[in-house]
Amino acid sequence: MRFPVLGPIPAMAAPDLHALANPLRFQRFATALTPWLLVLGLAFMTVGIWRGLFFAPPDYLQGETVRILYIHVPSAWFAMGGYLGMALAALAAMVWKHPLAALSVRAIAPVGALFAAICLITGSIWGRPTWGTWWVWDGRLTSMLVLFLLYLGVIALIHSHDDKARGLKMAGYLAIVGTLNLPIIKFSVEKWNTLHQPASIRLSGSSIHPDMLQPLLLSALGFLLLFAGLVLVRMRTLIAEQRLEMRAMRRAARAG
Amino acid sequence: MAVAKPKQQRLVLALAALAVMVAAGIVAIFALQDTAAYFKAPSDIAAEPPAPGQTIRLGGLVKAGSVGRSADGLVLNFTVTDMKADTPVSYRGIVPDLFRENQGVIATGSFDASGHFVARELLAKHDENYMPPEVAKALEKNGHPMGAGRPT
Amino acid sequence: MPHFPFIAAAYGITIALLGGFLVWSLWRMRRAERAVEEKR
Repeated sequence: MRFPVLGPIPAMAAPDLHALANPLRFQRFATALTPWLLVLGLAFMTVGIWRGLFFAPPDYLQGETVRILYIHVPSAWFAMGGYLGMALAALAAMVWKHPLAALSVRAIAPVGALFAAICLITGSIWGRPTWGTWWVWDGRLTSMLVLFLLYLGVIALIHSHDDKARGLKMAGYLAIVGTLNLPIIKFSVEKWNTLHQPASIRLSGSSIHPDMLQPLLLSALGFLLLFAGLVLVRMRTLIAEQRLEMRAMRRAARAG
Repeated sequence: MAVAKPKQQRLVLALAALAVMVAAGIVAIFALQDTAAYFKAPSDIAAEPPAPGQTIRLGGLVKAGSVGRSADGLVLNFTVTDMKADTPVSYRGIVPDLFRENQGVIATGSFDASGHFVARELLAKHDENYMPPEVAKALEKNGHPMGAGRPT
Repeated sequence: MPHFPFIAAAYGITIALLGGFLVWSLWRMRRAERAVEEKR
């Protein structure tokens, strides 16, 4: 994949020129990095899931159902990590008004929503044979659903205004306010009585047997790289679409 | 540097906002400890006995050696414990696969007039330990009853 | 309870969602970047 040579940008687009300068450099960097992230992400996911499905032992209590862990846990981690990234990007957009920061918020939101959805769906499917229920309104499950809804809220706000900058600004506020939910997700299982079990991997060590932990970490690395790759794909898309829009606007201005 | 000042101001404000949000989340965790609890432990119930007929969720470990069936085999009787207090429970219905002694369980139901807890729904809890069956067996052989580690 | 249908459902839905989103995102990116290249 090669980056096309760019023609000079007409001077009449002067206010946008500054905004585009960095995204253009960024796009060259992103174009080189995207295939690596996607290919390595899918490769690590495949190896991790393969080992998890066919080589890892069953759990002494859950039996084979434990294999859902290898997709449920990574999607939960990066749904949360992605949210933090999105909130920091919103914060950077607010402070430095850098166009790439605002672009990151728009790029991360749907990817994070997807990961949160996968976490909720696989968790529900795991809960039925393990707990005996698809869903309960305990602290962990509810706060994870709230995370998914926060992502949807951010996406909705981005598109809520005809004035794009305003919609993006409101989405940024929601993203930052929503970080309130992250410690709740994290500590709900420690401090509240929940049906969901507490964290197995902590700073003090892991209570997951190494034969299960290894495929989990491989799969998690894959999910992380895929998340980053998907965000870059979306950032490139948004940059390209923005350029098309600006070109259409210039054309209209010239015609009018 | 006329531009730098509002930028710095915005940075401080935004970081403060983020810190406040995270702090608010942590405060909420502690403040809602009782409200957000999905179940009550036997010692909570001993401290504050609910009225007969009031629906509550009772959570804890299935006490070792407490599981039995009624004579007709339809009613499952067991004791839920949090190592401080015990609550005897009877339940009629489908028992989850993971239900066993020394494992976590959540029973939804109410106390009848005679003070016996009758469950309508029974959920099995899983703890944070994941291991192959051989490892669990070896641990049990060495005197670690699996699941007894966490009294919640 | 049989475990297989649950594992198959969890993996099936995950792969479909991730794969679908990846393909759709790549298609949208290609369309946008091509349009930028072509209509200059």
